[in-house]
Amino acid sequence: MTTPLRRRQVLGLGFAALGTAVAAPAVWNRLQRSASSLRPATLASRGGVAELELLAQSSRSTIPGGPAELLTYNGRSPGPLLEVKAGDQVRLRLRNGLNQPTNLHFHGLHIPPTGTGDNVFLTVPPGGSTEYAFRLAKDHPAGLFYVHPHQHGLSADQVFGGLGSALVVRGDLDRIPEVAAAHESVLVLKDYASSGGQDAAMGVGRMLGREGRLLTVNGEINPELPIPSGGLLRLRLLNASNARIYRLALEGHPLVLIATDGGAIGTPEPLKELVLAPGERADVLVQGNQTPGSYRLLNLPYRRSGHMGMGAAEERPRTLATLRYAGAVAPLPLPQTLIPVAALPAPERTRRFVLAHAMGMGGMGGMNHAMGGMGGGGMGMGFQINGQAFEPDRINTRVQLGSTEDWLIVNDDVMDHPFHLHVNPFQVITRGGRPESQRRWKDTVLVKAGEEVRLRVTFRDFPGRTVYHCHNLDHEDMGLMGVLQIEERGV
Amino acid sequence: MNALTLRLLPKALSLLLTFGGALAVSSGNVAHAAQASAPALTPVTAYRTASCGCCKGWLQHMRANGFVVRDVVVADLQAIKRRLGVPNRLNSCHTAEVAGFAIEGHVPAADVRRLLRSRPAVAGIAVPGMPLGSPGMESPYGKEPFTVLAFTRAGTISAFSRHPQ
Repeated sequence: MTTPLRRRQVLGLGFAALGTAVAAPAVWNRLQRSASSLRPATLASRGGVAELELLAQSSRSTIPGGPAELLTYNGRSPGPLLEVKAGDQVRLRLRNGLNQPTNLHFHGLHIPPTGTGDNVFLTVPPGGSTEYAFRLAKDHPAGLFYVHPHQHGLSADQVFGGLGSALVVRGDLDRIPEVAAAHESVLVLKDYASSGGQDAAMGVGRMLGREGRLLTVNGEINPELPIPSGGLLRLRLLNASNARIYRLALEGHPLVLIATDGGAIGTPEPLKELVLAPGERADVLVQGNQTPGSYRLLNLPYRRSGHMGMGAAEERPRTLATLRYAGAVAPLPLPQTLIPVAALPAPERTRRFVLAHAMGMGGMGGMNHAMGGMGGGGMGMGFQINGQAFEPDRINTRVQLGSTEDWLIVNDDVMDHPFHLHVNPFQVITRGGRPESQRRWKDTVLVKAGEEVRLRVTFRDFPGRTVYHCHNLDHEDMGLMGVLQIEERGV
Repeated sequence: MNALTLRLLPKALSLLLTFGGALAVSSGNVAHAAQASAPALTPVTAYRTASCGCCKGWLQHMRANGFVVRDVVVADLQAIKRRLGVPNRLNSCHTAEVAGFAIEGHVPAADVRRLLRSRPAVAGIAVPGMPLGSPGMESPYGKEPFTVLAFTRAGTISAFSRHPQ
């Protein structure tokens, strides 16, 4: 979707590293030529240092039927794939070419929430730039993470408009032989408003969270995923949409789950369907062991309001991508085990977070720009956690560094809320009172309308102020966020 | 009003519409015609789930505009929507019934009044989802334009009114 001219412009910006990093077997190289655009441009680290630069700007869209303008990083939506290794020093300069403030969130990374780390309280004004700088721990889990704007009041506009990049951290999981032998494709799932602008008229507005009618994978409509007979495909899925919840199924093939948000799971788990809420990631393996042919990767209908039926504009499965058999290789096996997910210590306390939409004082902190100077807040409909809408200067929850807590997330609303916690990964203990099939590292969990989810989290390593919120970003912008202060013991 | 009556109603209503909405064409519709002349007194039965925060706001809006509203909390709202013929893709968080018409979602009282006056051959009117700024959805976070859609039992959907016009 990026024009040759834009590519040259991007190169002219002087990136230290540009190019793909993974060596592929010859058969994959031949196959990839037919789908080269499926590989997003990659900005990778070298020699333990990642010098990265993202320019946020508005660009002309080339997606058929899409909006005339997209918000892009380096001329691309989704933005370039960022690829770093555990232990790397990361320096990422964000340049703001938009006409409104923006910033970055390093979704899922275990790095400090302060200073030049995953500090969502930083703001880069129009025309400005800032450098995010941090070191990833040597034992940082390998996984698929997500870099996107987190400017309160504008997050949804900017992500729905097109901003967001996948971030791969290389490490432990990538060294498991069966996983290393698989061919890897990062698939960024993103929906865009159609040029007709009919989306909101059918009820999928900001209150439910905006969905676009155009479904894309890496900015393309129904791209091809080549697989040789006997081959193993590692699909690394990121839901980079504003509000859309994907319910994924691949015709004729189970999706063998090997990693969730925060990295590897203990044992591969074949799934018929995979539900992925905004901000969630999953790594799945697909074995090329069926009759050669074409198989559709489908997005099945999903209702984000449970039994209410709202937000069900689509009642039929839609094709996201097509798996196509081509060539053959000696059959590659699935891994039998992956990386154990350790049980967390017993919780020192349990907190309860009730999510709802309600009439109240709108949490207008930080919203003044978005509201065209309306400012000052006011009564009306918005979202709340425990009866409070987000205020950037109000700490809602104080926890002790090093402590473990259970958080009971209660969705008392008529619509689903994907709950996201920054900085520290958690494990889901129960969902609707039922235990999970195995331990998984998560940073975003879908809490369905009327459902209760118990998660367990240890606040490791990094003191400071951060947030938890609904990752339906329209909901976040309308107050469904709280401030978390991680305090050093004895302070 | 049972489901059978509801299915027959659109035909009767289309006849009514043909005659300008002012004539009662059968004894069964006399009551409706009478209500149409005094819509403010037409009773509204509103169905919602217990946890809905914005449904109550719409009820208040309707009462403030002279409607008598019966507030019914139900567990299975979908069953009500099916009975009244609300298409899935037009669903909102509450469903009401007035003079045999379905009113889905945050429909302005003025549109309900016009529906009762004009009595088009439709099963009801809907505002899908929960547009910010619609009645009951007044919000400091802004306003979204929205369209009130009319729908028939056969699933035909057409624009009834636009806000802002």
